[in-house]
Amino acid sequence: MLAIDVKDLRKQFKVQKNRAGLGGAFKDLFKREYTEVTAVNDITFQIPQGEICGYIGENGAGKSTTIKMLTGILVPTSGELKVNGYVPHRDREKFVKGIGVVFGQRSQLWWDIGVIESFHLLRKVYNVPLNDFNRRLDQLVERLQLGELLNRPVRKLSLGQRMRCELVASLLHNPAIVFLDEPTIGLDIVVKTEIRDFLLEMNRQEGTTILLTTHDLQDIEALCSRVIMLDDGSIIYDGGLEELKTTWSKGREIQFQFGESMSVSRLEQLTHRLNVSWTRENEYTAKLFVPHEVNFSEAMGVVVGGANIRDIKIFETNTDDIVRGIYQTGSADAGGGQTEQPQAEAQQAGEKESVLS
Amino acid sequence: MRYMNLMLEYLKNYVKSRMTYRADFWIEVFSDLLQQGMNLVFILIVFQHTPLLGGWSQSEVIFVYGFFMVPYGVFSTFFNIWNFGERYIVKGEMDRVLTRPAHSLYQVLLENIDPPSLFGSFVGMIVMAVCWMDMGLALHAVDVLVFVVLVIGAVFIYGGIYTALSALSFYSDSPTGIVPLMYNIQNYGRYPVNIYNKLIRFVLTWLLPFAFVGIIPASYFLEPKEDDISRLALLTPVMGLIVFSIGLTIWNRGVKRYRGAGS
Repeated sequence: MLAIDVKDLRKQFKVQKNRAGLGGAFKDLFKREYTEVTAVNDITFQIPQGEICGYIGENGAGKSTTIKMLTGILVPTSGELKVNGYVPHRDREKFVKGIGVVFGQRSQLWWDIGVIESFHLLRKVYNVPLNDFNRRLDQLVERLQLGELLNRPVRKLSLGQRMRCELVASLLHNPAIVFLDEPTIGLDIVVKTEIRDFLLEMNRQEGTTILLTTHDLQDIEALCSRVIMLDDGSIIYDGGLEELKTTWSKGREIQFQFGESMSVSRLEQLTHRLNVSWTRENEYTAKLFVPHEVNFSEAMGVVVGGANIRDIKIFETNTDDIVRGIYQTGSADAGGGQTEQPQAEAQQAGEKESVLS
Repeated sequence: MRYMNLMLEYLKNYVKSRMTYRADFWIEVFSDLLQQGMNLVFILIVFQHTPLLGGWSQSEVIFVYGFFMVPYGVFSTFFNIWNFGERYIVKGEMDRVLTRPAHSLYQVLLENIDPPSLFGSFVGMIVMAVCWMDMGLALHAVDVLVFVVLVIGAVFIYGGIYTALSALSFYSDSPTGIVPLMYNIQNYGRYPVNIYNKLIRFVLTWLLPFAFVGIIPASYFLEPKEDDISRLALLTPVMGLIVFSIGLTIWNRGVKRYRGAGS
């Protein structure tokens, strides 16, 4: 069965046009002009039960708008929508009993009362039997190590602690589908990892379907078997993460450390028969960019045979670079090598990587 | 039944979170009562200049004011949503409300519940009792029953109007001016409506039926006057039902237009 079935989903907003200047403001007062903005433009996708799907895109691409339609908060302008067997906005109250929602930027908990009080209130709101609730709560508290946090008021929790509590709050009623809107935003690496592990485990053990939006591609790499990429309201990629990487990485970078001082012209002379490029980092180190269409061993062979080398490092283009490339061109249709990202930029990105590693 | 349960839960949490701010609680009670007290003083001053106001004596007008305080206190407790637009629409808290399985208006009302306002209702009842004795009226058991029904009707009228007003935030970006305007108009309903001109009387009775919150139901207990608006008193629950249904409809349609805030 499909957990989420979306067909030609569209959301348009009427946005008021503000004319410039005082005169414009007066005109606006009497006759307003509106422009229609299409936040989500006829998207179609299906997510089977038990899948973890990443939903990514730039700010303003329409991710949150989609999530809000899927969770019954917004009413779509047109299109068909079925989540967990319901049309979300039509049977809202029945529908939301079967889903869990976490908005990373907004708290679900009551600010002034203890965390446990919030949980008990949610139990009443969701009408969960006390036995089920206690069993579930014990499980979650143990798994996410919330023990001593339960009696503190939410306003005294750190962001990491709060986010773990938010997760528990959204899962107390044992939802079949969980929507996470930037669940790891602003968290440190320890909490991020903890949350990822937890989500993965829940997905494996209970078959919970998870749809998450994020700007942190490591979330996607750690969790998602599938990625949907959105740009300007339209889906530009829908498929596996590995596929995205292999079709989209433009090539590899190799960093050489030489035993003697090497000039760029000497290096270029070595590789003059191949379509590769060099960037010099300092007297002894330089980077070679090898696109996929160039034979890797041939490029290596030429350099290794022609220079005195002390060390070699190979960099795979990481997901961040790939996604940045796609965002910048705004399309995933152009083939891997043909994206018009300037070479220099790709190398710059690579450099950043080398600093980090 | 489930909704009653929920209300108790929310009340418990209100108490828990308020225990930490006890001073706040009493300041709120005090300032509420002070405001009501000022209004009463105003009535007393008016009656220093005239023995009758549109055919109503001082005790009667104060009785009406006391009656008005009762539904007003209940209303203020349960419909404390004057900042709905800013908090739920502009800041987008409506998102959270809409992901929970209970009616959205009910959740918003419960989240903002404000029990200190109930003090006004108690004071209102005391004011009524004092005037009642002052006028030497007889008390029948049926009067108490009618009183309860009229108060509930009046609360629903108030609630309906303010629900509709809050729901305007779904339709317009910032309908800020209208709430203070309404706040002023509602005050007219506490005084004998026959002192106003025909147009205002009509508006207060049938369009923005604030007269049904004060003067009309209260007149049920008093001597009939020449225009005899007490005939309308028993219509109060009916008006309450109609006005609240209209308010709820506007709300429900508004929720469908909710557009969320920011990211």
